[in-house]
Amino acid sequence: MCEPDQKTVAVEDAIGLVLSHDITEINARTHHKGSAFRRGHVITGDDIPKLLDLGKENLYVLEMNEDQMHEDDAAVLLAGAISGNNAQFMPEPREGRINIIAGVTGLLKVNVEALTRFNLVDEVMCATRHTNTVVQAGDIIAGTRAIPLVVEKKQVERAVAAANQADGLVSVLPLKSSRIALIITGNEVYTGRIDDAFEPVIRGKVEALGSSIASVTKCPDNLLAIRQAVLEARADADLVIMTGGMSVDPDDLTPLAAREAGAEISAYGSAVLPGAMFMAGYFEDGTPVLGVPACGIHHPRTIFDLILPRVLAGEKITSDDIARLGHGGLCLDCEECNFPVCPFGKSA
Amino acid sequence: MKKSLEEHLEEAAAFHGGDCPGQTLGVRLARAGLERLGVDDPLSNQWRKNLMVYVEIDRCAADAIMVVTGCRVGKRTLKIMDYGIMAATFINLQTGTAVRVLAREEARHLASVYAPDERNKYEQQRLAYRVMPDEELLNFEDVKVVTPAEDMPGSPISRVVCGKCGEAVVDMREVKVNGTNLCRSCASGGYFSR
Repeated sequence: MCEPDQKTVAVEDAIGLVLSHDITEINARTHHKGSAFRRGHVITGDDIPKLLDLGKENLYVLEMNEDQMHEDDAAVLLAGAISGNNAQFMPEPREGRINIIAGVTGLLKVNVEALTRFNLVDEVMCATRHTNTVVQAGDIIAGTRAIPLVVEKKQVERAVAAANQADGLVSVLPLKSSRIALIITGNEVYTGRIDDAFEPVIRGKVEALGSSIASVTKCPDNLLAIRQAVLEARADADLVIMTGGMSVDPDDLTPLAAREAGAEISAYGSAVLPGAMFMAGYFEDGTPVLGVPACGIHHPRTIFDLILPRVLAGEKITSDDIARLGHGGLCLDCEECNFPVCPFGKSA
Repeated sequence: MKKSLEEHLEEAAAFHGGDCPGQTLGVRLARAGLERLGVDDPLSNQWRKNLMVYVEIDRCAADAIMVVTGCRVGKRTLKIMDYGIMAATFINLQTGTAVRVLAREEARHLASVYAPDERNKYEQQRLAYRVMPDEELLNFEDVKVVTPAEDMPGSPISRVVCGKCGEAVVDMREVKVNGTNLCRSCASGGYFSR
Protein backbone atom coordinates (compact mmCIF):
# COMPACT_ATOMS: atom_id res chain seq x y z
CA MET A 1 0.00 0.00 0.00
CA CYS A 2 1.43 3.44 -0.83
CA GLU A 3 0.33 6.56 0.99
CA PRO A 4 0.30 9.36 -1.63
CA ASP A 5 2.60 12.28 -1.23
CA GLN A 6 1.69 14.90 1.28
CA LYS A 7 2.41 18.47 0.29
CA THR A 8 1.88 21.96 1.54
CA VAL A 9 -0.58 24.18 -0.31
CA ALA A 10 -1.83 27.71 0.35
CA VAL A 11 -5.43 27.64 1.59
CA GLU A 12 -6.67 29.58 -1.41
CA ASP A 13 -5.19 26.97 -3.75
CA ALA A 14 -6.51 23.97 -1.87
CA ILE A 15 -10.04 23.82 -3.32
CA GLY A 16 -10.81 20.27 -4.43
CA LEU A 17 -7.85 18.81 -2.58
CA VAL A 18 -7.95 16.29 0.27
CA LEU A 19 -6.98 17.35 3.75
CA SER A 20 -4.38 14.98 5.16
CA HIS A 21 -4.97 15.67 8.87
CA ASP A 22 -7.66 16.82 11.29
CA ILE A 23 -7.92 20.57 11.94
CA THR A 24 -8.84 21.28 15.52
CA GLU A 25 -10.80 24.27 16.75
CA ILE A 26 -11.16 25.49 20.28
CA ASN A 27 -14.35 27.33 21.03
CA ALA A 28 -13.30 30.17 23.33
CA ARG A 29 -16.80 30.51 24.76
CA THR A 30 -17.48 26.85 25.55
CA HIS A 31 -13.84 25.79 25.87
CA HIS A 32 -14.85 22.92 23.67
CA LYS A 33 -12.10 21.35 21.64
CA GLY A 34 -13.05 19.43 18.57
CA SER A 35 -12.24 18.95 14.95
CA ALA A 36 -13.46 21.59 12.55
CA PHE A 37 -12.34 19.57 9.54
CA ARG A 38 -11.66 15.86 9.49
CA ARG A 39 -8.82 14.15 7.79
CA GLY A 40 -10.00 13.24 4.30
CA HIS A 41 -12.23 16.27 3.92
CA VAL A 42 -12.32 17.66 0.38
CA ILE A 43 -11.84 21.39 0.65
CA THR A 44 -14.47 23.66 -0.92
CA GLY A 45 -14.56 27.42 -1.55
CA ASP A 46 -16.87 27.88 1.44
CA ASP A 47 -14.25 26.40 3.77
CA ILE A 48 -11.63 29.05 3.06
CA PRO A 49 -12.89 31.87 5.36
CA LYS A 50 -13.25 29.44 8.25
CA LEU A 51 -9.78 28.01 7.69
CA LEU A 52 -8.36 31.51 7.67
CA ASP A 53 -10.30 32.27 10.87
CA LEU A 54 -8.62 29.27 12.44
CA GLY A 55 -5.24 30.68 11.48
CA LYS A 56 -4.62 28.25 8.69
CA GLU A 57 -3.00 29.86 5.69
CA ASN A 58 -1.31 26.72 4.45
CA LEU A 59 -2.54 23.14 4.57
CA TYR A 60 -1.09 19.69 4.23
CA VAL A 61 -3.07 18.05 1.46
CA LEU A 62 -2.96 14.80 -0.38
CA GLU A 63 -2.54 14.80 -4.05
CA MET A 64 -4.93 12.59 -5.96
CA ASN A 65 -4.12 11.72 -9.56
CA GLU A 66 -6.55 10.22 -12.07
CA ASP A 67 -5.55 6.67 -11.08
CA GLN A 68 -6.68 7.30 -7.54
CA MET A 69 -9.94 7.98 -5.75
CA HIS A 70 -11.13 9.30 -2.42
CA GLU A 71 -11.84 6.74 0.29
CA ASP A 72 -15.52 7.76 0.42
CA ASP A 73 -16.04 7.09 -3.27
CA ALA A 74 -14.17 3.81 -2.89
CA ALA A 75 -16.34 2.78 0.06
CA VAL A 76 -19.53 3.24 -1.95
CA LEU A 77 -18.19 1.07 -4.77
CA LEU A 78 -16.96 -1.57 -2.35
CA ALA A 79 -20.24 -1.68 -0.40
CA GLY A 80 -22.19 -2.04 -3.63
CA ALA A 81 -20.15 -5.05 -4.65
CA ILE A 82 -20.17 -6.64 -1.20
CA SER A 83 -23.96 -6.45 -0.76
CA GLY A 84 -25.77 -9.48 -2.09
CA ASN A 85 -29.46 -10.35 -1.78
CA ASN A 86 -31.26 -8.57 1.05
CA ALA A 87 -28.15 -6.65 2.07
CA GLN A 88 -28.46 -2.86 2.02
CA PHE A 89 -26.43 0.26 2.79
CA MET A 90 -26.67 4.03 2.71
CA PRO A 91 -24.15 5.42 0.21
CA GLU A 92 -22.98 7.95 2.78
CA PRO A 93 -19.70 6.88 4.34
CA ARG A 94 -18.91 8.06 7.83
CA GLU A 95 -15.20 8.60 8.26
CA GLY A 96 -14.67 6.47 5.21
CA ARG A 97 -16.70 3.53 6.46
CA ILE A 98 -19.98 2.12 5.22
CA ASN A 99 -22.07 -0.29 7.25
CA ILE A 100 -24.05 -2.92 5.41
CA ILE A 101 -27.30 -3.92 7.06
CA ALA A 102 -29.77 -6.79 6.75
CA GLY A 103 -32.79 -5.81 4.64
CA VAL A 104 -34.86 -8.65 6.07
CA THR A 105 -34.82 -10.90 9.11
CA GLY A 106 -33.15 -14.13 8.18
CA LEU A 107 -30.01 -16.18 7.92
CA LEU A 108 -26.81 -14.29 7.17
CA LYS A 109 -24.73 -15.96 4.50
CA VAL A 110 -21.13 -14.85 4.10
CA ASN A 111 -19.07 -16.19 1.24
CA VAL A 112 -16.06 -16.69 3.46
CA GLU A 113 -13.65 -17.67 0.70
CA ALA A 114 -14.62 -14.71 -1.46
CA LEU A 115 -14.34 -12.46 1.59
CA THR A 116 -10.79 -13.65 2.11
CA ARG A 117 -9.95 -13.04 -1.55
CA PHE A 118 -11.43 -9.55 -1.20
CA ASN A 119 -9.38 -8.82 1.88
CA LEU A 120 -6.18 -9.99 0.20
CA VAL A 121 -6.52 -6.99 -2.12
CA ASP A 122 -4.39 -4.08 -0.91
CA GLU A 123 -5.92 -0.85 0.40
CA VAL A 124 -9.46 -2.20 1.08
CA MET A 125 -11.14 -4.19 3.82
CA CYS A 126 -14.42 -5.78 4.73
CA ALA A 127 -15.36 -7.25 8.12
CA THR A 128 -18.55 -9.28 8.62
CA ARG A 129 -20.50 -11.10 11.26
CA HIS A 130 -20.27 -14.88 11.17
CA THR A 131 -22.01 -16.72 8.41
CA ASN A 132 -25.15 -18.69 9.29
CA THR A 133 -26.09 -16.24 12.06
CA VAL A 134 -29.73 -15.27 12.41
CA VAL A 135 -29.99 -11.51 11.90
CA GLN A 136 -32.89 -9.12 12.29
CA ALA A 137 -33.84 -6.63 9.60
CA GLY A 138 -31.72 -3.52 10.22
CA ASP A 139 -28.85 -5.34 11.95
CA ILE A 140 -25.34 -4.47 10.83
CA ILE A 141 -23.92 -7.47 9.01
CA ALA A 142 -20.71 -6.02 7.52
CA GLY A 143 -18.52 -2.94 7.40
CA THR A 144 -16.17 -1.86 4.63
CA ARG A 145 -13.75 0.91 3.87
CA ALA A 146 -10.63 1.77 1.97
CA ILE A 147 -7.55 1.84 4.18
CA PRO A 148 -5.76 5.01 2.94
CA LEU A 149 -7.49 8.34 2.38
CA VAL A 150 -6.64 8.17 -1.26
CA VAL A 151 -6.81 4.79 -2.80
CA GLU A 152 -5.56 3.32 -6.04
CA LYS A 153 -8.50 2.80 -8.40
CA LYS A 154 -7.09 -0.49 -9.62
CA GLN A 155 -7.16 -1.94 -6.10
CA VAL A 156 -10.79 -0.94 -5.71
CA GLU A 157 -11.56 -2.48 -9.08
CA ARG A 158 -9.85 -5.72 -8.07
CA ALA A 159 -11.77 -5.89 -4.82
CA VAL A 160 -15.07 -5.10 -6.53
CA ALA A 161 -14.39 -7.84 -9.09
CA ALA A 162 -13.67 -10.34 -6.31
CA ALA A 163 -16.98 -9.52 -4.62
CA ASN A 164 -18.97 -9.43 -7.86
CA GLN A 165 -17.66 -12.82 -8.85
CA ALA A 166 -19.33 -14.21 -5.72
CA ASP A 167 -22.57 -12.24 -6.34
CA GLY A 168 -21.73 -10.25 -3.24
CA LEU A 169 -19.97 -11.27 -0.08
CA VAL A 170 -22.94 -11.02 2.27
CA SER A 171 -26.60 -11.84 1.74
CA VAL A 172 -29.58 -12.69 3.91
CA LEU A 173 -31.86 -15.64 3.26
CA PRO A 174 -35.36 -14.94 4.60
CA LEU A 175 -36.72 -17.62 6.93
CA LYS A 176 -39.74 -19.40 5.54
CA SER A 177 -42.69 -19.41 7.91
CA SER A 178 -43.09 -23.16 8.17
CA ARG A 179 -45.75 -25.49 9.54
CA ILE A 180 -43.96 -27.97 11.72
CA ALA A 181 -45.10 -31.43 12.79
CA LEU A 182 -43.68 -32.33 16.18
CA ILE A 183 -43.42 -36.00 17.07
CA ILE A 184 -42.53 -36.70 20.65
CA THR A 185 -41.45 -40.27 21.35
CA GLY A 186 -41.04 -42.23 24.56
CA ASN A 187 -43.15 -44.73 26.48
CA GLU A 188 -42.70 -42.67 29.63
CA VAL A 189 -44.34 -39.65 28.02
CA TYR A 190 -46.94 -41.52 25.99
CA THR A 191 -48.25 -43.47 28.97
CA GLY A 192 -48.31 -40.33 31.08
CA ARG A 193 -45.66 -41.59 33.50
CA ILE A 194 -43.85 -38.28 33.15
CA ASP A 195 -44.78 -34.96 31.57
CA ASP A 196 -43.25 -34.12 28.24
CA ALA A 197 -40.64 -31.37 28.47
CA PHE A 198 -39.78 -31.13 24.77
CA GLU A 199 -42.85 -29.40 23.38
CA PRO A 200 -42.47 -26.04 25.17
CA VAL A 201 -38.76 -25.88 24.29
CA ILE A 202 -39.24 -26.69 20.61
CA ARG A 203 -42.32 -24.48 20.33
CA GLY A 204 -40.43 -21.52 21.80
CA LYS A 205 -37.52 -21.87 19.41
CA VAL A 206 -39.70 -22.46 16.38
CA GLU A 207 -41.98 -19.52 17.09
CA ALA A 208 -39.02 -17.21 17.74
CA LEU A 209 -38.02 -17.85 14.12
CA GLY A 210 -41.49 -17.11 12.75
CA SER A 211 -42.73 -20.67 12.24
CA SER A 212 -45.48 -22.58 13.98
CA ILE A 213 -46.19 -26.03 15.37
CA ALA A 214 -48.96 -27.48 13.18
CA SER A 215 -49.36 -30.74 15.07
CA VAL A 216 -48.02 -32.55 18.11
CA THR A 217 -48.12 -36.35 18.20
CA LYS A 218 -46.94 -38.38 21.14
CA CYS A 219 -45.74 -41.90 20.44
CA PRO A 220 -44.54 -44.81 22.51
CA ASP A 221 -41.22 -46.46 21.67
CA ASN A 222 -42.88 -48.53 18.99
CA LEU A 223 -41.48 -48.56 15.50
CA LEU A 224 -44.82 -48.94 13.73
CA ALA A 225 -46.49 -46.29 15.86
CA ILE A 226 -43.71 -43.78 15.24
CA ARG A 227 -43.67 -44.55 11.53
CA GLN A 228 -47.43 -44.12 11.33
CA ALA A 229 -47.18 -40.81 13.16
CA VAL A 230 -44.51 -39.57 10.76
CA LEU A 231 -46.49 -40.61 7.69
CA GLU A 232 -49.62 -38.97 9.09
CA ALA A 233 -48.01 -35.75 10.27
CA ARG A 234 -45.74 -34.98 7.34
CA ALA A 235 -48.63 -34.75 4.89
CA ASP A 236 -49.59 -31.45 6.49
CA ALA A 237 -46.16 -30.10 7.41
CA ASP A 238 -43.19 -28.31 5.85
CA LEU A 239 -40.84 -29.82 8.41
CA VAL A 240 -40.98 -32.79 10.77
CA ILE A 241 -39.22 -32.55 14.12
CA MET A 242 -38.84 -35.73 16.16
CA THR A 243 -37.72 -35.76 19.76
CA GLY A 244 -36.45 -38.54 21.97
CA GLY A 245 -35.36 -42.00 20.96
CA MET A 246 -32.16 -40.63 19.44
CA SER A 247 -29.68 -42.57 21.52
CA VAL A 248 -28.36 -46.09 21.08
CA ASP A 249 -30.58 -47.98 23.55
CA PRO A 250 -32.86 -50.73 22.23
CA ASP A 251 -35.84 -48.46 22.88
CA ASP A 252 -34.38 -45.71 20.69
CA LEU A 253 -36.11 -46.08 17.36
CA THR A 254 -36.42 -42.57 15.98
CA PRO A 255 -33.84 -42.70 13.15
CA LEU A 256 -35.07 -46.13 12.08
CA ALA A 257 -38.71 -45.01 12.14
CA ALA A 258 -37.87 -41.93 10.07
CA ARG A 259 -36.09 -44.12 7.57
CA GLU A 260 -38.96 -46.58 7.42
CA ALA A 261 -41.35 -43.71 6.82
CA GLY A 262 -39.36 -42.92 3.69
CA ALA A 263 -36.78 -40.41 4.85
CA GLU A 264 -33.21 -40.52 3.69
CA ILE A 265 -31.07 -39.71 6.70
CA SER A 266 -28.27 -37.38 5.63
CA ALA A 267 -26.71 -37.26 9.07
CA TYR A 268 -27.14 -39.24 12.26
CA GLY A 269 -24.62 -38.18 14.84
CA SER A 270 -23.13 -34.70 14.78
CA ALA A 271 -19.87 -33.00 15.62
CA VAL A 272 -21.50 -30.70 18.14
CA LEU A 273 -21.73 -30.80 21.91
CA PRO A 274 -24.45 -30.71 23.05
CA GLY A 275 -26.18 -32.51 20.22
CA ALA A 276 -23.99 -35.47 19.28
CA MET A 277 -27.05 -37.70 18.72
CA PHE A 278 -28.73 -35.26 16.32
CA MET A 279 -30.31 -36.48 13.10
CA ALA A 280 -31.14 -34.71 9.84
CA GLY A 281 -32.80 -36.17 6.79
CA TYR A 282 -35.16 -35.56 3.93
CA PHE A 283 -38.22 -37.23 2.48
CA GLU A 284 -38.51 -37.84 -1.23
CA ASP A 285 -40.51 -34.64 -1.74
CA GLY A 286 -37.80 -32.62 0.01
CA THR A 287 -39.59 -32.25 3.34
CA PRO A 288 -36.86 -32.17 5.99
CA VAL A 289 -36.93 -34.23 9.18
CA LEU A 290 -34.83 -33.38 12.22
CA GLY A 291 -34.24 -35.59 15.24
CA VAL A 292 -33.54 -33.75 18.49
CA PRO A 293 -31.86 -35.73 21.28
CA ALA A 294 -32.67 -35.28 24.95
CA CYS A 295 -29.97 -32.61 25.43
CA GLY A 296 -32.47 -30.32 23.71
CA ILE A 297 -34.47 -30.21 26.92
CA HIS A 298 -31.90 -29.16 29.47
CA HIS A 299 -29.27 -27.25 27.46
CA PRO A 300 -30.37 -23.78 26.44
CA ARG A 301 -28.64 -24.10 23.06
CA THR A 302 -27.71 -27.20 21.09
CA ILE A 303 -27.05 -28.18 17.52
CA PHE A 304 -30.79 -27.76 16.96
CA ASP A 305 -30.32 -23.98 17.30
CA LEU A 306 -27.57 -24.08 14.69
CA ILE A 307 -29.46 -26.18 12.16
CA LEU A 308 -33.10 -25.07 12.51
CA PRO A 309 -32.55 -21.57 11.03
CA ARG A 310 -30.68 -23.06 8.10
CA VAL A 311 -33.48 -25.52 7.43
CA LEU A 312 -36.07 -22.74 7.66
CA ALA A 313 -33.95 -20.72 5.22
CA GLY A 314 -34.35 -23.57 2.75
CA GLU A 315 -30.82 -24.95 2.92
CA LYS A 316 -30.37 -28.64 2.36
CA ILE A 317 -28.29 -29.93 5.25
CA THR A 318 -25.64 -32.45 4.26
CA SER A 319 -23.34 -34.61 6.35
CA ASP A 320 -20.55 -32.27 5.24
CA ASP A 321 -22.40 -29.29 6.77
CA ILE A 322 -22.78 -31.17 10.02
CA ALA A 323 -19.14 -32.29 10.05
CA ARG A 324 -17.96 -28.71 9.55
CA LEU A 325 -19.76 -27.69 12.72
CA GLY A 326 -17.14 -29.57 14.75
CA HIS A 327 -14.83 -26.56 14.74
CA GLY A 328 -16.61 -24.22 17.14
CA GLY A 329 -19.18 -26.85 17.96
CA LEU A 330 -18.28 -27.03 21.63
CA CYS A 331 -20.69 -25.13 23.87
CA LEU A 332 -18.94 -23.64 26.90
CA ASP A 333 -21.99 -24.10 29.14
CA CYS A 334 -21.69 -20.56 30.46
CA GLU A 335 -23.64 -19.74 33.58
CA GLU A 336 -25.50 -17.10 31.62
CA CYS A 337 -26.09 -18.08 28.01
CA ASN A 338 -25.46 -15.24 25.56
CA PHE A 339 -25.90 -17.23 22.36
CA PRO A 340 -25.53 -16.18 19.57
CA VAL A 341 -22.96 -13.73 20.96
CA CYS A 342 -20.49 -16.54 21.67
CA PRO A 343 -18.23 -18.91 19.79
CA PHE A 344 -20.77 -21.76 19.67
CA GLY A 345 -21.42 -22.80 16.11
CA LYS A 346 -19.30 -20.09 14.52
CA SER A 347 -17.06 -22.30 12.42
CA ALA A 348 -18.58 -22.18 8.98
CA MET B 1 -51.57 -62.30 -6.79
CA LYS B 2 -49.08 -65.06 -6.13
CA LYS B 3 -51.74 -67.60 -5.08
CA SER B 4 -54.81 -68.39 -7.16
CA LEU B 5 -58.39 -67.92 -6.00
CA GLU B 6 -58.75 -71.69 -5.85
CA GLU B 7 -55.71 -72.05 -3.60
CA HIS B 8 -56.99 -69.37 -1.26
CA LEU B 9 -60.47 -70.89 -1.15
CA GLU B 10 -59.00 -74.27 -0.27
CA GLU B 11 -56.79 -72.85 2.46
CA ALA B 12 -59.68 -70.84 3.88
CA ALA B 13 -61.98 -73.86 3.94
CA ALA B 14 -59.31 -75.92 5.67
CA PHE B 15 -58.70 -73.26 8.30
CA HIS B 16 -62.38 -72.46 8.88
CA GLY B 17 -63.62 -76.03 8.63
CA GLY B 18 -65.73 -75.96 5.51
CA ASP B 19 -66.58 -73.78 2.53
CA CYS B 20 -69.48 -71.30 2.55
CA PRO B 21 -70.58 -68.03 0.88
CA GLY B 22 -69.04 -66.02 3.74
CA GLN B 23 -65.66 -67.70 3.20
CA THR B 24 -65.83 -67.02 -0.50
CA LEU B 25 -66.73 -63.38 0.10
CA GLY B 26 -63.91 -63.04 2.61
CA VAL B 27 -61.37 -64.46 0.17
CA ARG B 28 -62.57 -62.21 -2.67
CA LEU B 29 -62.62 -59.18 -0.39
CA ALA B 30 -59.09 -59.81 0.85
CA ARG B 31 -57.64 -60.56 -2.58
CA ALA B 32 -59.20 -57.41 -4.04
CA GLY B 33 -58.07 -55.27 -1.12
CA LEU B 34 -54.50 -56.53 -1.36
CA GLU B 35 -54.45 -56.06 -5.11
CA ARG B 36 -55.49 -52.44 -4.64
CA LEU B 37 -52.54 -51.98 -2.29
CA GLY B 38 -50.20 -53.59 -4.80
CA VAL B 39 -49.55 -56.58 -2.55
CA ASP B 40 -48.72 -59.69 -4.53
CA ASP B 41 -47.47 -61.99 -1.79
CA PRO B 42 -48.85 -60.98 1.62
CA LEU B 43 -46.93 -63.73 3.40
CA SER B 44 -43.55 -62.52 2.10
CA ASN B 45 -41.06 -60.82 4.42
CA GLN B 46 -41.78 -57.46 2.82
CA TRP B 47 -45.43 -57.54 3.83
CA ARG B 48 -45.44 -59.74 6.90
CA LYS B 49 -44.90 -56.71 9.13
CA ASN B 50 -46.34 -54.04 6.90
CA LEU B 51 -49.95 -55.09 6.50
CA MET B 52 -52.84 -54.48 8.83
CA VAL B 53 -56.54 -55.31 8.39
CA TYR B 54 -59.61 -54.03 10.15
CA VAL B 55 -62.47 -56.53 9.71
CA GLU B 56 -65.95 -55.22 10.41
CA ILE B 57 -67.66 -58.56 10.99
CA ASP B 58 -66.95 -61.48 13.29
CA ARG B 59 -68.22 -64.19 10.97
CA CYS B 60 -66.84 -66.64 8.39
CA ALA B 61 -65.32 -63.88 6.25
CA ALA B 62 -63.02 -62.85 9.09
CA ASP B 63 -61.33 -66.27 9.03
CA ALA B 64 -60.92 -66.16 5.26
CA ILE B 65 -59.40 -62.68 5.45
CA MET B 66 -56.96 -63.93 8.07
CA VAL B 67 -55.88 -66.80 5.80
CA VAL B 68 -55.37 -64.67 2.69
CA THR B 69 -53.64 -61.71 4.33
CA GLY B 70 -51.59 -63.55 6.94
CA CYS B 71 -52.76 -60.94 9.44
CA ARG B 72 -53.52 -62.29 12.89
CA VAL B 73 -55.20 -61.05 16.04
CA GLY B 74 -52.28 -62.25 18.11
CA LYS B 75 -49.83 -60.39 15.91
CA ARG B 76 -52.00 -57.31 16.36
CA THR B 77 -52.22 -56.97 12.60
CA LEU B 78 -55.89 -57.98 12.47
CA LYS B 79 -58.43 -55.89 14.30
CA ILE B 80 -62.02 -57.01 14.70
CA MET B 81 -64.36 -54.03 14.66
CA ASP B 82 -67.66 -55.70 15.36
CA TYR B 83 -69.87 -53.47 13.19
CA GLY B 84 -71.79 -56.39 11.67
CA ILE B 85 -70.89 -55.11 8.20
CA MET B 86 -69.38 -57.32 5.50
CA ALA B 87 -66.41 -55.04 4.98
CA ALA B 88 -62.74 -54.81 5.76
CA THR B 89 -60.03 -52.17 5.46
CA PHE B 90 -56.57 -53.14 4.25
CA ILE B 91 -53.65 -50.91 5.23
CA ASN B 92 -50.15 -50.68 3.83
CA LEU B 93 -48.34 -49.64 7.01
CA GLN B 94 -45.28 -48.62 5.00
CA THR B 95 -47.14 -45.80 3.32
CA GLY B 96 -50.31 -45.44 5.38
CA THR B 97 -52.40 -46.14 2.28
CA ALA B 98 -55.71 -47.77 3.22
CA VAL B 99 -58.56 -49.16 1.16
CA ARG B 100 -61.94 -50.20 2.56
CA VAL B 101 -63.67 -52.98 0.67
CA LEU B 102 -67.37 -53.57 1.16
CA ALA B 103 -69.44 -56.48 -0.16
CA ARG B 104 -72.23 -54.88 -2.19
CA GLU B 105 -75.76 -55.68 -1.04
CA GLU B 106 -76.77 -55.92 -4.73
CA ALA B 107 -74.41 -58.87 -5.16
CA ARG B 108 -76.78 -61.06 -3.14
CA HIS B 109 -79.46 -60.54 -5.77
CA LEU B 110 -77.08 -61.16 -8.64
CA ALA B 111 -76.24 -64.65 -7.41
CA SER B 112 -78.92 -66.19 -9.63
CA VAL B 113 -77.41 -64.49 -12.67
CA TYR B 114 -73.92 -65.85 -12.06
CA ALA B 115 -74.99 -69.33 -10.91
CA PRO B 116 -78.32 -69.89 -12.73
CA ASP B 117 -78.15 -73.67 -12.61
CA GLU B 118 -77.92 -73.89 -8.85
CA ARG B 119 -81.24 -74.06 -7.04
CA ASN B 120 -79.99 -73.99 -3.47
CA LYS B 121 -79.74 -70.32 -2.52
CA TYR B 122 -76.81 -70.81 -0.20
CA GLU B 123 -74.87 -72.84 -2.72
CA GLN B 124 -75.87 -70.42 -5.47
CA GLN B 125 -74.28 -67.53 -3.55
CA ARG B 126 -71.14 -69.51 -2.85
CA LEU B 127 -70.66 -70.34 -6.53
CA ALA B 128 -71.68 -66.89 -7.78
CA TYR B 129 -69.26 -65.09 -5.43
CA ARG B 130 -66.40 -67.02 -7.01
CA VAL B 131 -67.04 -65.70 -10.51
CA MET B 132 -68.78 -62.35 -10.07
CA PRO B 133 -66.52 -59.48 -11.32
CA ASP B 134 -65.00 -57.25 -8.62
CA GLU B 135 -67.08 -54.23 -9.62
CA GLU B 136 -70.36 -56.09 -9.14
CA LEU B 137 -69.32 -57.87 -5.98
CA LEU B 138 -67.43 -55.14 -4.15
CA ASN B 139 -67.19 -51.44 -3.42
CA PHE B 140 -63.81 -49.75 -2.91
CA GLU B 141 -63.12 -46.66 -0.93
CA ASP B 142 -59.82 -44.94 -0.09
CA VAL B 143 -59.86 -44.22 3.62
CA LYS B 144 -57.51 -42.98 6.32
CA VAL B 145 -56.83 -45.08 9.39
CA VAL B 146 -54.81 -43.96 12.36
CA THR B 147 -54.25 -46.89 14.67
CA PRO B 148 -53.78 -45.93 18.32
CA ALA B 149 -50.09 -46.33 19.13
CA GLU B 150 -50.89 -48.73 21.96
CA ASP B 151 -52.62 -51.05 19.47
CA MET B 152 -49.59 -51.40 17.22
CA PRO B 153 -47.61 -54.62 16.89
CA GLY B 154 -44.57 -54.61 19.12
CA SER B 155 -43.68 -55.09 22.75
CA PRO B 156 -46.21 -53.95 25.35
CA ILE B 157 -45.58 -50.31 26.15
CA SER B 158 -46.92 -50.45 29.70
CA ARG B 159 -47.85 -52.90 32.43
CA VAL B 160 -49.82 -51.92 35.53
CA VAL B 161 -51.54 -53.94 38.21
CA CYS B 162 -55.27 -53.50 38.75
CA GLY B 163 -55.84 -51.85 42.09
CA LYS B 164 -58.84 -54.10 42.78
CA CYS B 165 -58.30 -57.62 41.42
CA GLY B 166 -54.51 -57.45 41.30
CA GLU B 167 -54.28 -58.77 37.75
CA ALA B 168 -51.70 -57.24 35.39
CA VAL B 169 -52.97 -55.05 32.56
CA VAL B 170 -50.75 -54.22 29.57
CA ASP B 171 -50.82 -51.63 26.80
CA MET B 172 -52.75 -48.92 28.62
CA ARG B 173 -55.98 -50.89 28.81
CA GLU B 174 -56.33 -49.85 32.42
CA VAL B 175 -58.81 -47.21 33.51
CA LYS B 176 -57.96 -44.63 36.11
CA VAL B 177 -60.75 -44.27 38.67
CA ASN B 178 -60.20 -41.75 41.47
CA GLY B 179 -56.46 -42.01 40.95
CA THR B 180 -56.39 -45.82 41.04
CA ASN B 181 -55.60 -47.99 38.03
CA LEU B 182 -58.33 -50.58 37.49
CA CYS B 183 -58.76 -53.23 34.83
CA ARG B 184 -61.77 -52.64 32.60
CA SER B 185 -63.66 -55.46 34.21
CA CYS B 186 -63.27 -54.00 37.69
CA ALA B 187 -63.86 -50.45 36.49
CA SER B 188 -67.12 -50.91 34.62
CA GLY B 189 -68.22 -54.53 34.94
CA GLY B 190 -66.93 -57.32 32.76
CA TYR B 191 -68.42 -59.91 30.46
CA PHE B 192 -68.29 -62.41 33.30
CA SER B 193 -69.48 -62.51 36.88
CA ARG B 194 -67.90 -64.31 39.79
